[in-house]
Amino acid sequence: MSTARAYSVALVGVEGAIVEVEAAIGGGLPRMVIVGLADAALGEARERCRAAVHSQGLGWPAQLVTVNLSPATLPKAGSHFDLAIVTSVCAAAARFDPAVLNDMVLLGELGLDGRVRAVRGLLPALLAAVTAGFRTAVVPATQLREARLVEGLTVWGVGNLLDLVAVLTGVPPEQVMPPEPEAQAAAGEATTKNLIDVVGQLEAKWAVEVAAAGRHHLFLHGPPGVGKTLLAERLPGLLPDLDQSESMEVSAIHSLAGLPLHGGLIVRPPYADPHHSASLASVVGGGPRMALPGSISRAHRGVLFLDEAPEFPPRVLEALRVPLESGRVVLGRAMVHAVYPASFQLVLAANPCPCGNAGTRGADCRCAPMAVRRYAERISGPILDRVDIHHHLAPMSRTYLKAAQSSGETTQAVAGRVAAARARQRHRLVEHGWRTNGEVPGPALRRLLPLPQGVELLDEAVSCGRLSARGVDKVIRLSWTIADLAGAERPTRDHLHTALAMRRGEQLGEVVRDRA
Amino acid sequence: MERTRVWQAGELLAVQHLVKQGWTIVERNWRCSLGEVDIIAHTPEPDSVLVFCEVKCRSGLGFGDPLEAITWQKLRKLRQLALTWLGEQPQWVPRYRLDAIGVLLPRGGRPQVSHVQGVGE
Repeated sequence: MSTARAYSVALVGVEGAIVEVEAAIGGGLPRMVIVGLADAALGEARERCRAAVHSQGLGWPAQLVTVNLSPATLPKAGSHFDLAIVTSVCAAAARFDPAVLNDMVLLGELGLDGRVRAVRGLLPALLAAVTAGFRTAVVPATQLREARLVEGLTVWGVGNLLDLVAVLTGVPPEQVMPPEPEAQAAAGEATTKNLIDVVGQLEAKWAVEVAAAGRHHLFLHGPPGVGKTLLAERLPGLLPDLDQSESMEVSAIHSLAGLPLHGGLIVRPPYADPHHSASLASVVGGGPRMALPGSISRAHRGVLFLDEAPEFPPRVLEALRVPLESGRVVLGRAMVHAVYPASFQLVLAANPCPCGNAGTRGADCRCAPMAVRRYAERISGPILDRVDIHHHLAPMSRTYLKAAQSSGETTQAVAGRVAAARARQRHRLVEHGWRTNGEVPGPALRRLLPLPQGVELLDEAVSCGRLSARGVDKVIRLSWTIADLAGAERPTRDHLHTALAMRRGEQLGEVVRDRA
Repeated sequence: MERTRVWQAGELLAVQHLVKQGWTIVERNWRCSLGEVDIIAHTPEPDSVLVFCEVKCRSGLGFGDPLEAITWQKLRKLRQLALTWLGEQPQWVPRYRLDAIGVLLPRGGRPQVSHVQGVGE
């Protein structure tokens, strides 16, 4: 009986674990057995591998082939083990020198005709391989660009099984880079969604600017047609580019979600806007056995926008509570616990009532008082308590056309101010390891940083029950962001006052007029 | 008939293969109402074991290796046949085993015999 081994990577959440794929040939009638907690897709590797090898005329051993995936207790999922399985079987059949396999990971799915197909999660898998000390990787040729993003690896792209054999026998095939994706679609989108398109709504634009500067959660509330969605869609454009480590995290999640990374690492903050019919699993992540990242993880380091928030099932909204606090989501399954990062900026948009006109001056609300109340209650208190900025958008007044003629600020101008405020935050917080005001934990906010001037305002609000303990922290964070935007060293009483008003969703008329 | 010639030639090659290794043939093509055992033989002494062999012969690899045609249904049949044969024996047989022999008879090429021991588990 002859044996050989090759290496691949199993993914648990965004963490990769090295899997040793052992193959033994002989000791029974011809058939193939895969052991080591393989899921359905991996179990079918049996048929794929055999057919692929036959199609290339390479000859499958007519004996019992036992493939063991070790560690045997770790559940393994996905089709990307095909290459490692075929390689270990060929090595056991002594088709080439197995020494090359010692520092090599192999990832790729096989087609029946011997083609090598793209796989999900290549980037996190390769990152894990580098950490584990591997120096060479064999990946699908179509994903060569994604694989080259990982430093410290010699990467071979293989288009079919014959290319793989060539690599293993020491005559690597010519490396052909997949074509450059046509004109950056993402970049085009960022420029088309400009803040200048939103007429008027100065206060709301200011609220969006503050949210962007400090990564605060935002709730936009108002009648239909006032521009809630327009504003929320323009928030990602205001955010600065991701830094190197953030960019790697975001790209790894996108790779796991099966989105192509042909354009290199993702540098713009991601944006996810699930429809309100979305299921719990699609939003927080899930699926049987191996949990996949959901919208909240795809919006990691970016913006999660829930338009028409009251229409979302309460289960979905409530599931956001813990990720909102911890910045990650732990998906427990019987066999594994997958941890996905989920540090997103939440933006909610809602109408005040089913008809949308409640509380709007001059408009006729046809809803019964109880209906209005029930509609508002669909977004629960605990969720609203976690939102930093509550903003009510009023319909445009008669100055609408006048405002439409005078051009407002462009996204670029506001993004410049946001970038300056972010720089101040980073300078102040970098020694503690935070980047923005939004992620500073409450105790640190009260101990490590000076308190804003006029904190008695907060005491007053707490004592009359208008602010929760969490709310106090939120207001202090907001006041820091407002001070950063104003270029102040420390939040003044005015900043705190503005922050308190934004938190409680009061009108900001004076504040904005002062700034203008 | 062509098919008959192939399997007869195959079984002959299998028997020669076993005899060359010092096995003692006990019976060939033993039949009962359940079916047929191709070869019953003793392995060489010491530690002689009684072996029931299923022989599969093919003239090409177009439909896969001959051994691949030995399915678990065939093995189950072989085991039943083995027990029937053992039941008919006057003396007690302490140990027995099931083997499979694949014979490939390529047109104009050298025949290949592959012998897999202990397929019954």
